[in-house]
Amino acid sequence: MRNPHAATRAAPAATIFLPDWLAALLMLALACPAPVAAEATPTSGKIAPLELQRSAAPGWQRQKVDSQGSSWPQTDWTGYSTVAAIATPGPNGPLHFETPVTGDAARGRQLAFDRARGGSCVACHVMGKDTPPQPGNVGPDLSTIGAMRDDAWLFNYVYDPRTQNANSIMPPWGAHRLFNVAEIRDIVAFLKTLKTPYHNSDPQDDPATRSPPRDTRDNLDPTENPAMFALDRGKELFDKPGAGGKSCASCHRAPESSFKIWAARMPRFEPRLKRVLGVEEFITRHARVTTGEELPMQGADNIALSVYLHNLANGETIQPDLSSTGARKAAQSGMALMQRKLGQLNMACIDCHTKERHAFKWARGQYLVESRGTVAHFPTWRTSRGDIWDIRKRFQWCNVSVRANDLPPDAREYGEIEMALATINKGEKINSPGIRH
Amino acid sequence: MAEPMKIRAKMEGEFADVKVLMSHPMETGQRKNEKGELVPVHFIQSVIASHNGKTVLDIQWSQAIARNPFLGFRVKGAKAGDKIAIDWTDTAGDKSSIETTVGA
Amino acid sequence: MKPLRRSVLKLFAASATLAAAGLLGARTAFAAVWNKVGFESKTGADALKSLGVANAAASKDIQITAPEIAENGAQVPVTVLSRIPNTQSISIVIDKNPFPLNSTFEFSNGADSYISTRVKMGQTSSIMALVKADGKFFTASKEVKVTIGGCGG
Repeated sequence: MRNPHAATRAAPAATIFLPDWLAALLMLALACPAPVAAEATPTSGKIAPLELQRSAAPGWQRQKVDSQGSSWPQTDWTGYSTVAAIATPGPNGPLHFETPVTGDAARGRQLAFDRARGGSCVACHVMGKDTPPQPGNVGPDLSTIGAMRDDAWLFNYVYDPRTQNANSIMPPWGAHRLFNVAEIRDIVAFLKTLKTPYHNSDPQDDPATRSPPRDTRDNLDPTENPAMFALDRGKELFDKPGAGGKSCASCHRAPESSFKIWAARMPRFEPRLKRVLGVEEFITRHARVTTGEELPMQGADNIALSVYLHNLANGETIQPDLSSTGARKAAQSGMALMQRKLGQLNMACIDCHTKERHAFKWARGQYLVESRGTVAHFPTWRTSRGDIWDIRKRFQWCNVSVRANDLPPDAREYGEIEMALATINKGEKINSPGIRH
Repeated sequence: MAEPMKIRAKMEGEFADVKVLMSHPMETGQRKNEKGELVPVHFIQSVIASHNGKTVLDIQWSQAIARNPFLGFRVKGAKAGDKIAIDWTDTAGDKSSIETTVGA
Repeated sequence: MKPLRRSVLKLFAASATLAAAGLLGARTAFAAVWNKVGFESKTGADALKSLGVANAAASKDIQITAPEIAENGAQVPVTVLSRIPNTQSISIVIDKNPFPLNSTFEFSNGADSYISTRVKMGQTSSIMALVKADGKFFTASKEVKVTIGGCGG
């Protein structure tokens, strides 16, 4: 996109009758990314140099620990769908297991409540008078299911809900091997014992009456948000000469004005890469050919600079540039990826994060929110993880949460989802660094 | 380099209200690294808060204070312009300190 | 900001840090000996013993502010205010943590008997504030539920 300010500023060189050589020199000086006193944008309409060949996260492998050392799920879920590839779907019709289903109800109860096996049924269901604390309500209350459904229905629904409901958010517990057939028989035996309506005297424990969380924290209070340490670090790094002797500030002398809206227009479709480029990948690729510094995505220095650049755009509204075909196609692909069922748990972004599906319900003690309102605070401090996450890290976590292999941070698919989310969040004000659970 | 800290002190009624955020991993000794080895316990054990050079708070902490510890306290009889300082020492013997002036 | 002014400010900040560091030795000389026995106790009862508590009376003059449901156990904000005259110290004891004694704050020279911090909690537990005043012990407790995550594993 051309910048009108650049055109205005370049004009005097051509109109005030300078000797050709001086005019040429002046033009070169203006074209050079070096000293520009009061930029209107970081590049004043010029194309930012980028390194285009290498990975922006060299040596990345599915994470074992994050940068602050919190553990990261290590299981390999190869064979289940990811945002990069669709795996084989489950069975298409009822399995017709012999009835009645016999099993050990006590063992079934234990399995239903076991958090290590996919989060336990209680993540989404109230299950009678013995329901453990903080049940969720994404799925229906099963307290009287034993009086309502027959054995074959129960077995088949638990084995693979797609046999009876193509759009169910429920994981195909049998088809995706979270439980074996004997275990599902036990679970069904337990479900058949559920015949008494649920009553919880604690309104904060009952998902029907629990109050949604209200966040009153001031994310920009330096004694509140540990990510403010990274803001300081980002400012320092901006001024610090890289391996090539130049710093960001060598070319961008007035970042407060020239980066006022920049991060609010990211991510953008980058024709040279033929895919979407976010702030963090931009930092890596731009620094390689300007300051000479290697700032791999999701490294502490890359995130600190991202915090700084986002913070400079605080208060500006997110306005993704969808003027090119490439950008529009990327946003469309991202929207489609958000509908793809992923991982062993077989869940799509939209299952939990649209109000048409299950947003504003409880997954155990966690409140599900809509996709709108989830972007403008990145990079964000996660209190549960003790670390700052850029938005790509959030995507990686969403993937492993539904037990799908995560991708490298510079994956094309994450760029597309980022573009789709920027579109959904158009008009939201940047407010970074954020602080979230 | 000593770990950074953030501090803010301002008068609220008869008190100087002080808020401090420290940068520290506060390792519990129960977490494993990528090689499956336990990360050694490492946390801030002692914090001293002082007002114009006199100790007002002498604090002992365990590893169960949250990562990047927060401390809030109030000092009676302080006034704008007074000095508030924080000094911490961790289990590795590392120290960090910061001083600020109480704002009106 | 101009680069020159930035470096001047940086210099200033650096010298301020050095000045503060100079005071460090003098101030920390008074730090109490870390209560190793108490902090390594595995039960709340043993932790209290290490603090010399025999009989602690429940008191309504101790106010604990903490969320009823904490968003996670990694960072639970806790504030304790003691209105008991001559409060000397406040300790926080979290019964269900592997090491229940969390922290001890001793007051002197005009500190208000008020502290605010953020603690780690392994699971839903009561948070007890133990106050020492005029050599006697008083307590108050508050139950804090720790949010259980949805996807488990």
